[in-house]
Amino acid sequence: MAEPAIISVRGVNKVFNGGSDRAVTALQDIDLTLGRGEFISLLGPSGCGKSTLLRVMADLTAPTSGTVTVNGKTPGAARADRDYGMVFQQAGLFEWRSVLRNVELPLQVAGAKKEVHRAKAMEMLELVRLSEFAGHYPWQLSGGMQQRVAIARALSTDPEILFMDEPLGALDEMNRERLQGELLRIWGDTRTTVVFVTHSISEAVFLSSRVVVMSARPGRVAACIDVDLPHPRTAETRTTPEFFEKVKEVREALHGAPSEQAAA
Amino acid sequence: MPREPGRGGALVRRLTDPLGTLLVVAVLAGLWEGYKAFGRAVDDRILGIGLPVATDDLSMPHLWTIVGSLTAPARAGDTTSLAVYLVGETTVTLREALYGLAAGSLLGLALAVLFLHVTPVSKGLMPWLVASQTVPLVAIAPMIVIWGGKAGLPPWVAVTGIAAYLAFFPVTINSLRGLKSPPKVQLDFMRSVGAGRARVLWSLRFPAALPYVFAGLRLAATASVVGAIVGELSAGTGRGIGRAILTSAYYYSNGPEKLYAAVLVAAIAGILFVQVLALLERFALRHRHAR
Amino acid sequence: MSTLRLSRPAGGPALKARALRFTPVALTAVILLSLWQAAITLFDVPVFIMPTPVMIAEAFQHDFGTIMSASRSTVEPVLLGLVMGSLGGVAVALVVSRFPRLSGPVLNTAVLINCAPIVALAPIFNNWFGVTSLLSKAGVAAVMVFFPVFVNTTRGLLQIAPLHLEIMESLAAGPRQVAFLLRLPNALPFVFNALKLGTTLAVIGVIVSEYFGGSTEALGVYIAYQAALPRFDYAWAGILVSGAIGLGLFGAVTLLERILMPWHDSLHEEKS
Repeated sequence: MAEPAIISVRGVNKVFNGGSDRAVTALQDIDLTLGRGEFISLLGPSGCGKSTLLRVMADLTAPTSGTVTVNGKTPGAARADRDYGMVFQQAGLFEWRSVLRNVELPLQVAGAKKEVHRAKAMEMLELVRLSEFAGHYPWQLSGGMQQRVAIARALSTDPEILFMDEPLGALDEMNRERLQGELLRIWGDTRTTVVFVTHSISEAVFLSSRVVVMSARPGRVAACIDVDLPHPRTAETRTTPEFFEKVKEVREALHGAPSEQAAA
Repeated sequence: MPREPGRGGALVRRLTDPLGTLLVVAVLAGLWEGYKAFGRAVDDRILGIGLPVATDDLSMPHLWTIVGSLTAPARAGDTTSLAVYLVGETTVTLREALYGLAAGSLLGLALAVLFLHVTPVSKGLMPWLVASQTVPLVAIAPMIVIWGGKAGLPPWVAVTGIAAYLAFFPVTINSLRGLKSPPKVQLDFMRSVGAGRARVLWSLRFPAALPYVFAGLRLAATASVVGAIVGELSAGTGRGIGRAILTSAYYYSNGPEKLYAAVLVAAIAGILFVQVLALLERFALRHRHAR
Repeated sequence: MSTLRLSRPAGGPALKARALRFTPVALTAVILLSLWQAAITLFDVPVFIMPTPVMIAEAFQHDFGTIMSASRSTVEPVLLGLVMGSLGGVAVALVVSRFPRLSGPVLNTAVLINCAPIVALAPIFNNWFGVTSLLSKAGVAAVMVFFPVFVNTTRGLLQIAPLHLEIMESLAAGPRQVAFLLRLPNALPFVFNALKLGTTLAVIGVIVSEYFGGSTEALGVYIAYQAALPRFDYAWAGILVSGAIGLGLFGAVTLLERILMPWHDSLHEEKS
C-alpha cells in the first residue's frame, strides 16, 4: 500500500449479547488498513461479520473493544463531518420526496443553501445518468434505478469515502452487472475510497483493487488479496483467464477458512 | 446482526401493559380531581376569565361520589342498587349489540365473498357502499325504529337492526382485503393441484383472511354497541343503557353522579365487549406469528 | 422484473380510463334508483314504509328552506368539532411521541377508550357547556375525532422504517431534522386516514347529541321529528342531506390529501 491510510482498524472486537449465554462474537481481533482511493471489498459467508465491520467504520454500531480511525478522526467525528456516504442493500428512498429531493437530502441535513443543493443534486443525477427522472417519485422507478438514486444521494456531499452494504444484492443478474460497470466508472470519476460488502466472489473480484476475505464464527480476516486486473474493466474482463485465476484464488482463500472446514 | 428479543419479553409485556394502562387511567383520574380542586380554589376564574368547565359538584362530581352512587339505591324507595340496575340495562344493550354484530358480520362476510367472485358487482356497488358509510347511519335510526313498530316487532329487533347496519361495513371491507391477501404463489399452487373455486375459498382464502376478519370484527363490535345505544335513544320505550343515560340526563340536577355512573358503566361495557372479542381472536390465531 | 412506470399518463387516455372506471358506478346508481321507483310503484308500497325517489325529491324541494337552515346549524358544530378534535389529536400525538416510554401505555389506553361509546358523553357536555351552546355539540364530535387522529398520528410518528432512521443517522441528522424530514412526512398518510374516518364520526357525534336536546332547528331533530309524524319522504330528504354533508367533508379531506401528498395518489389508484 503506497497510498496513505484513510481508514485504520486496530484490534477491533464486537460481541453481541455480551455477558449472556447467547453471546455471539461477530468480530474478533480485526486489523485492517485501507488506503486512500482504494476499492475494497469485504467478502465472506453470511454471519462472518462483514456488515458489522462496515457499520463499525460508519459509526452505526459501536465496537466492544479496539480503535477505528476514519479520515484521521474517530468514526463518530467522521460521521458528523459527513466524511462518508452510505448505500444500503435497499435503496430506502423517502417515498414522499421526488428523486431530486431525495438526492438533496444529505445536503439539506448538512445545512447547505437551497440553490447549492439543487445544482449539486442535478450534477449527481447526471453522474448516475438519471437526470430526466429528477421529478419522478420513487415508486415510478425500477429497483436498479432506485439503487442508482441511492448512490447519487450518498455521493451528493462529495464524501471522501463511500460505504456500500451489499448494495446490489437485491437486483437481478443483468441489472447487477450493468450497475457494477457503472460503479467502476463513478469510482474512476470521483476517486472516492469505496468499502464494498458482498457475498459474491465474482462481484468482489470484478470491482475491487483489494478483496478482504473474512471467515465466520468468529468473524476474522482470513486473507487480503490484491486484484491487479487492468482498468478500464469491461464485460470482456469477466472472460479473461486472469479474471478466472483471481476468482479461483479468492474462492480457495474463502474455502480454506477454518469455520468452513469445521462446518463441512 | 439484529438482536432478538428474549423469550421472556412477551410475558413481561403482558404483565406491564395492563399496569401501564392502569397508570394512565390513574393519571387521568388525578387530572379530573386536580382540575376540580384548582377550579374550586380560584373560584372557576383565572385572570378574570372563567374556566371552560365549571368545577362545582353539579358539573364535576367527585370521582368517589360517582363510584359511591353505584351502591346507593337506583331510585328513592327502591331496594336495588344503581349498579345492579345499570348492569341489568347494560346486558339488554349488549345482547342487542351481540345479535346485531352476529347478523352484521354474517352479512358482511357474505358480501365480501360476493364481491370477490362477481367483479362487476363489486365495481359498481363498492363505491356506493363506501359512500353510504359517510352518511351518518345513525340518522336513519329513527326511521328503522318506526319501521319495526309498524311491522309489530318488539323495539329490540329494530335496535338490533341498527346495530347490524353499523357493524357490517368494517367486516366487508376487511374480509375482502383478507380474501385477496393470499400471494400469487399460493393461488398458483392451489390451481396446480386442481383445486376448484370453492376449495380455494375454503382452504386458502378463508384461513388467510382470518386475521383481517378479526380486525374488522373488532371495529364492528364498537360500532354495534354505538348502534344499539343510538337505537335505544330513538326507540320510544324499551330498556337498555342508552335509555338509562337519557333518563339520568333528564334528572341530572337531582343527582349528576348518576349520569356519570351510567356513562362510566356504558364505557366499561363497551370496552369489555371488544376485549372479549380480542380474547377470542388471540385464541383463534394462537398458532400464527404475531404480526 | 423491472416494470417501469414513467411520467403520468397524458390527459386523453387518462380521461378515457376514468370514464371506464365510473361507468359501472353510475350504471349501478341508475339501476338501483329505477328499481326502487319501479318496485314501490308496482307493488303499491305505502309511503309510510318507503317513499319513491321522486317523492323524496319533491319533499326536499318543498321543505328546502327548513332543511337548509337545519343543515347549517348541524354543519357548524361538525366543522368546529372536526377542527378541534384533529388539532388536539395531532398536538397530543406530537407531545406523546417525544417520550417513547410513555407512548406505549398512553396509546393502549386511548385504543381502549375508543372502544367505549363516546356518544354517551353528549348529555354531560350539554350540562357543561349549556344545551344550546355550539360547544356542547362540537365537543362530542371533537372527542370522537380526537381518538383515531391521536392514535394514528402517534403510530405514524413512531412507526418509521429502521432503514430510514439509519440513513438519517448516517447523515448525522439531529433530532429536529429527523422530526421534520422523516417523522412528520411519514405520519401524513396516517393522519389523513384518521381524518377521513373523523369526518363521518364528527357528523355522527353531532347528530346523536342533537337527540339529547338543544336547538330544534337541527338536522338530527328534523329527521327524527319527520319520521315520527310520520312523513318519511321528508325524513329521507333530511337523511340524504346529512349524507351529502358527510360525503362532502370526506371529499374535501381527500382533495386536501391529494394536494398535500402528491406522491400518494398512485397508491390509491392501485388499491381500488
